[in-house]
Amino acid sequence: MKSYLKLVNFEINRFLKLYVALAAFTVIVQTAVVIIHARSYLATAKDAVTKDMIPRETFLSDYGPMSIVRAMDGWFQLPIAICIAVLLIYCFMIWYRDWFGKNTFIYRLLMLPTNRIHIYLAKATAIFFMVLGLVSLELLLLPAESKLVELMVPIDYREDYSLNGIMEAFGDLNILFPKTITEFLIHYGIGLMMVFILFTSILIERCYRLKGILYGGIYFAFALVIFLLPNIVLIFAHTNYLYPVEMFFVELLLGILVTAMSIGLSHYLLNKKIRV
Amino acid sequence: MIEVKHLRKKFGRKTVLQDISFTAEKGEITCLIGINGVGKTTILNAIMALTPIQGGQILIDGERVSKRTFEKVAFIPDAITMLPQMRIKDAIAFMADYYHCWNQKRADEMLNFFGLKVEERIANLSKGNTAKVNLLLGLALDVDYILMDEPFSGIDIFSREQITDVFTSHLIEDRGVVITTHEIQDIEHLIDKAVLLDDGEVKMAFNVEEIRETEGKSVVDMMRQVYQR
Repeated sequence: MKSYLKLVNFEINRFLKLYVALAAFTVIVQTAVVIIHARSYLATAKDAVTKDMIPRETFLSDYGPMSIVRAMDGWFQLPIAICIAVLLIYCFMIWYRDWFGKNTFIYRLLMLPTNRIHIYLAKATAIFFMVLGLVSLELLLLPAESKLVELMVPIDYREDYSLNGIMEAFGDLNILFPKTITEFLIHYGIGLMMVFILFTSILIERCYRLKGILYGGIYFAFALVIFLLPNIVLIFAHTNYLYPVEMFFVELLLGILVTAMSIGLSHYLLNKKIRV
Repeated sequence: MIEVKHLRKKFGRKTVLQDISFTAEKGEITCLIGINGVGKTTILNAIMALTPIQGGQILIDGERVSKRTFEKVAFIPDAITMLPQMRIKDAIAFMADYYHCWNQKRADEMLNFFGLKVEERIANLSKGNTAKVNLLLGLALDVDYILMDEPFSGIDIFSREQITDVFTSHLIEDRGVVITTHEIQDIEHLIDKAVLLDDGEVKMAFNVEEIRETEGKSVVDMMRQVYQR
């Protein structure tokens, strides 16, 4: 257990510089986008009300009030998309850099006097913490950016949103910000399971190399099919045999099964089949 | 004792090791000799469970390889296995953090002996100094057995001399060493046992001193006998 925690810490430290850069990039870009939107809105409002003598109410009904939600355009969401892309790429890099780096660090990792599955679990945990860290940053950033709008735009010209309201405005990215514990467990549980499936597929490739690309791909598809089996049945049978709550428990069970299968297979591969 | 029994290893369809058996005892230096590509490194990798095997058995003091093995056997590959951005002191701290058998006193002694500076980054070290750090990270572990893969390959003559000195020092004494080389001249006078490999098999295994006394032959003479047949 101690070795596992040390490995988690080690893996996070290895990514820390890039991670801090990602976080800083997110803060800078989003803050800048909010400031630009607020200033541009204020300039438009000033021109309309003072130069064109349009009444405030008319302006507000034509243009709408300023809010943080108004600033959440493509540029605002860009850092989030980049963070997601980097973390996805890092899911591969976290393994491959140990084989393909200048010094083959995988020798050292595999020769540590600890269960080899700890290496796998530590890498997955590190990815999970990194995701949670960036989501937490965004959750801190959104109220701060909302406050920034409040400071820049007079109350008569703005509309304030609650954190929930702001998160709603994210559209598809809303999945990153679950509103209940159950939603959190479902969204992030599925995310973690996907990381385990991907890591196992990568290990299959590392064990069987060229053939392993095919085997790894097959495993990835196989694991997904098992997890999505109830939905696949639903599509083909055109009838829902299960109540939503039953569906939830079946998915939960299948998720646990697929995760356990991935960890078990990786344990076997790391001990019996791995190649440096 | 390290026991390698009927080891078989294939890479794809190519059989690299057909039937390899030998033992390496504590307090002895066993040298695996053979031309490049004969499978010397693969044997060491197999002992450390770093490559799967198709047959045979490897026992360390009668036990199969497990996580406990890594507190008993240290492997020093031909390239350093620490991250290039690490300083020497970071690499030492990493080892001390994970291995109960890490001996800091011995590590300090070797740092002194090799004249290495702990603040230096591994990426900036010369080839000779990288080999010395690699050796330090393996030898500072209080293990019973040490596996070394081509420790002299590609390094300058003075570094070679320093590394050779290590073999005759207390740093090696009482431990079992398995070393691979294709240049026997550097260490012929140091080894106790030679295992000559060819075509995926052990062609000959002998005690160097015994052969010298009974037949008056050196390791190189025996190699000629095996490889130039």
